[in-house]
Parts: sequence; structure tokens; C-alpha cells
Amino acid sequence: MDHRYDIPRRAAGGAGGGSANSSPAMGTQSRRRKMPPRPADFKLQIIIIGSRGVGKTSLMERYTDDTFCEACKSTVGVDFKIKTVELRGKKIRLQIWDTAGQERFNSITSAYYRGAKGIVLVYDITKQETFDDLPKWMKMIDKYASEEAELLLVGNKLDCETDRIISRQQGERFASRVSGMRFCEASAKDNFNVDEIFLKLVDDILSKMPLEVPNKELSNSVLSLQPEPEVPPELPPPRMRCC
Amino acid sequence: MDDSWQSKDGPDRTDLVSKDGKNNKSVLCQRCGSKVLGPGMALFAEKELFLPSMRKKTSLKTTEGSVDGDTLNAHWLVDDMFSFENVGFTKDVGNIKYLICADCEIGPIGWHCLDDKRSFYVALERVNHA
Repeated sequence: MDHRYDIPRRAAGGAGGGSANSSPAMGTQSRRRKMPPRPADFKLQIIIIGSRGVGKTSLMERYTDDTFCEACKSTVGVDFKIKTVELRGKKIRLQIWDTAGQERFNSITSAYYRGAKGIVLVYDITKQETFDDLPKWMKMIDKYASEEAELLLVGNKLDCETDRIISRQQGERFASRVSGMRFCEASAKDNFNVDEIFLKLVDDILSKMPLEVPNKELSNSVLSLQPEPEVPPELPPPRMRCC
Repeated sequence: MDDSWQSKDGPDRTDLVSKDGKNNKSVLCQRCGSKVLGPGMALFAEKELFLPSMRKKTSLKTTEGSVDGDTLNAHWLVDDMFSFENVGFTKDVGNIKYLICADCEIGPIGWHCLDDKRSFYVALERVNHA
């Protein structure tokens, strides 16, 4: 319909690779002609999947209790987050979706997968069944996700080391059998490795991308607030050829 | 108890709003300082919106369906969720999603109605500016 979403990005073109010293937050307030706000260079959608209780939500929600407005927290919860990271001189907006509550394999709408540039697959190192479920999740990924999506396997609950059932090697072995899948262990409870997870994933995604891609093409890969399962979001962005 | 950082009528708006109606300063979380919006990313907008209280527990007892909160009038408005540096969205409450800090999850700091996909409001009174 209308294209207002494109408007704020018009200034993006041409500027010639991330003028890194132009941080708009610094000291420009008083100038008459202000720097245009720096738009994001990339927008990436990341989804967090895995069986019930593995800690997907805690990977996205930093504090799991007592901080957020009780009324909203207990009854509502966080749906998704927009986070900005800077990597390789690029400013990247992440839209991070947690699929908690939709753990039955076929209940996560395929739209979530389709738009995702990064998929974090989580299991619980203290629960065998969450590890045994991994092949089923992989099937969903194979079926719905873009082949280009970066995959990261996360063994969560490192804080429960004493109850560990799945060894680090088992996790590594699983990941090594899936082409391009990375692996790490984390503790969402201690916030150990959590930020790194997203950075690592983004880094992998970026390394697959040609560095000068017009913003618009990438923005098409982003889900709207209410993914509608039956309607494919948009065509995936055209595959970029190298040179 | 009620120690909002500014009086309700928000005196020094000129300090915050540029001539073209945008935010002069960065918009930050009041608790953890997480950057919600960069300067110049949002428009000042007046709209009467009800946001549940950021205070928790006791004061938030929902008395027969009514929620503790404030009706706020001054907001930063953006038309694209990707204009935010960092922000969280709650799940739907009716046709509303509340905006929260992406890092410490305090909130609600803002409001989004699913009927208007191009409007995201952040209440001036619920954020800091720097």
C-alpha cells in the first residue's frame, strides 16, 4: 500500500561506508543543520526455538522476575525485542522473537521461520529429552527456514552444571553434523554467554552478506507484528551473488 | 511516593523538542540507561494514553479489573519499530502492545495499538533524556 516505511531510510544511500566518527548522539544538538539520524544498516530477524522449559525466554528476557511491572509481566510477558548492535562498523537492528508457548513442533507458524536470518536452537543440558528433541526441531528448520539462515545450537542452564546430563561433546557433535551450525553453552540465569550468542550469530550472518546492500531489500525479510501463517510474508530477499 | 521526574505539565519541553518537532536528545531508560531512541528519531506528539503503573506489586492490585496507572499526554512518536535502538514489546493486551525497556524490562514506557501499525508511542514522563 503506501511506502512510508521507506521514508526514514532515504538518507541512507551513497554515504560511502559507515562514517564512523559521526555518532549522532555527540555534541550535534546545537548545530543548526543537524546530522540526519543514522539509520540502521541492517535489520535481521532472529528466532529462538527449542522444547518447553529450556530457557528460551530467559535468553531474551534478561530478568525473569521482580523487575518488570507485575501486571504486564505475569499476565503478558515479552513478545519480541528490538536490539541494536554494532559490528564491523555496521549498525544492526535485531528483531528477536521468542517462541515460548508454541513448543509443539508444528504450532510455530512457518512465518516465524521464513523470515529468520538467524535461528537459535536451545536445549537444556540437564534434560535428556530436550536434547533428544533436537532432530525434530531440525526438521522444522529444514522445512521452513531459509537455507541461508545461520544456526546456533545453545546448551542452556550451564548454571546447573551439577545436574548436567548432556555433555559438551554431545552438543558439539550434534552441531558438527549440521552444516554451518555453531554451538555454545550458556547460562541465561547468570547471563553467561547470552549477549555473545546474538553477536556471534549476527557476525555469521554478516559474513555471508555482501557488505553494501541497499537497506530496502533487507527490510523485506522482517516480520510484521502479527505474522499471518497462511500468507508468506514477502518473497525472500533476492540472493546476492558474489561480485 | 509520587516522585515523577518532572511535573505533569512538563515545563522544559523546548529543551527536549527541536524546532521541527523531534527529540533533541537521546531517549533512555530511567532505570538502566538503555538507549531507546537516538536523537531526531521521533516526533513529539500529544495524545491521551493510559499506561499501567511502572510500580509493582501492592500498588498494582487490580481492583476488579481496573489497573493502576497514569493517563499521559506527551509522547515520542515513531512510525517504524526499527527506528528504536532498543525496545521490547509485550504480548498483546487486547489490541495493545506495551513498550518496555529492552534491557531491564521496566515498563510500560510506551504504547502501540495493533490497529495502527505506524504508531509507536513512548511517554516522555517514563523515560530520561540525555
